[in-house]
Amino acid sequence: MQHAVPRGRLPKHPRTFPSTYLVLLPLNSSYLAVITRDTRRLDCIFEIRSKTQRRFEMASSDKTPTPNPASRPGDQPTPPGKPMTMGQHILDKGAEMMQSLKPVNQMSQHVCTFALYSHDMTRQIETHHYVTRLNQDFLQCAVYDSDDSHGRLIGVEYIVSDKIFESLPPDEQKLWHSHAYEIKAGLWVNPRIPEMIGQPELQNLAKTYGKFWCTWQVDRGDRLPLGAPALMMSPQPVNLGMVKPELLETRDAKYNISTDALKTSRVEIAEPEWINPQADYWKLHGKGFAVDVKQTEMKKITPFP
Amino acid sequence: MATTHAQVPGEPTPTSMAFLETATAAVQNFSPIKSIHQHLCAFHFYSNDMTRQVEAHHFCAHQNEEMRQCLIYDSEAADAKLIGLEYLISEALFLKLPDSEKPLWHSHEYEVKSGVLFMPRVPGPIERQDLDKLCKTYGKTIHFWQVDRGDDLPLGIPQIMLALTRDGQLRPELARDVERRYGVSFEEEREKRAYMAGPNLGIHPLANGEGKGFKTELKEAGCMPVDSVPRVFV
Repeated sequence: MQHAVPRGRLPKHPRTFPSTYLVLLPLNSSYLAVITRDTRRLDCIFEIRSKTQRRFEMASSDKTPTPNPASRPGDQPTPPGKPMTMGQHILDKGAEMMQSLKPVNQMSQHVCTFALYSHDMTRQIETHHYVTRLNQDFLQCAVYDSDDSHGRLIGVEYIVSDKIFESLPPDEQKLWHSHAYEIKAGLWVNPRIPEMIGQPELQNLAKTYGKFWCTWQVDRGDRLPLGAPALMMSPQPVNLGMVKPELLETRDAKYNISTDALKTSRVEIAEPEWINPQADYWKLHGKGFAVDVKQTEMKKITPFP
Repeated sequence: MATTHAQVPGEPTPTSMAFLETATAAVQNFSPIKSIHQHLCAFHFYSNDMTRQVEAHHFCAHQNEEMRQCLIYDSEAADAKLIGLEYLISEALFLKLPDSEKPLWHSHEYEVKSGVLFMPRVPGPIERQDLDKLCKTYGKTIHFWQVDRGDDLPLGIPQIMLALTRDGQLRPELARDVERRYGVSFEEEREKRAYMAGPNLGIHPLANGEGKGFKTELKEAGCMPVDSVPRVFV
């Protein structure tokens, strides 16, 4: 990245964060330098996009969707429906300027990883999680099938620390999966973030458990979200839990990364001392879970509908 | 607030962690999230229990003119819990759904025309232009976190939710609370929205659970397709 950084000279009074070894230093309104505190060495430069620039990109990216260059198994056309009219664009922009979208603005990480259907582990998908951290022990993620502006919202995942997980009843725990393997194996990545920046967070996340419901099964060709939500599982180092190589290759090519190289660089990440056997239920029991929808009496206040 | 807001268990986020996350958000590709442009407030109830009602804050993005996808939170605050999601489709797309799927979708006509569905802080005339379209749509709402029963964590299995379909269903205390907090009057809005019309062909008889209740159930299932070769679990 081209930038004008005075080499070998550090301004005084950089902003510091005592509990990290990194210093973030605003160079100007568009660039932020990351400097290792101990060695005072420049690690990398972030380009910051202002809100105005982002809005401009939002306007220009609302074009007719182009085919995904990284075609993957089960790739399906965008949902049916007419393209957005100019009138709708104007309405949306107008409303957006007047409303605050606080909960959505709290999303702080994009994670790309893989998930498997609990009731059919031969079906595997690449997922894009947009993560909000509510506190040190709990995160909530909106999950999409891609990171482009037409990404389809395919589900929600919740992530809890081991401390919270141990407090759950066993019947609840069996719906959850562990994250240690997928992080250590390099499957879970933060696109565009240098490994060094992301590692402290990964240390924390390696000990967590997740619960992921998928509401739109795009990989089987559904053009609209059909059926009941499906429970998803995480990759595991056991035959059925291994991610198919072609899925990995497609993902790695798209982001120009190497999952294998990441696995090597993550050797330092501590394995959790113990993974609760109720999680990743299929490993011990050879069974998954599915959700049925059944008719039943509705408790009412008035006639329905 | 009328809905309970139980605190999510856990230690507060340390400054270091919060700061790193701010840095990452600046450089990553958040396109699907940047497409979210609208906040809608409405109510849902559980498909087997009309008495359990939830104030639902929708944050919506368009897939195209006929389809929207929304994240649902229990409030519009920064610490809001992500409790579910909703898909909205036009009448034309709804008619394309298989008949077995249609009952899981609900109509929006009553919610819009009665005034209880609204866009906070958007002036009426602008709001009504979009609501005019929403009036004809169908939605499929799934909640994962039963905040109305005080759950401080997302326990259990997903719940498919339904929307209000006539007067007398919405619990008055929930309605008054929202009206007070947002300074709106559902009655006044109802008068202004009297001109709006629901789906062109009328509300489909299969929508809204076909008029019956339903619920989700968990079952054990094989974790492989039936016709595959059994493998040994190591």
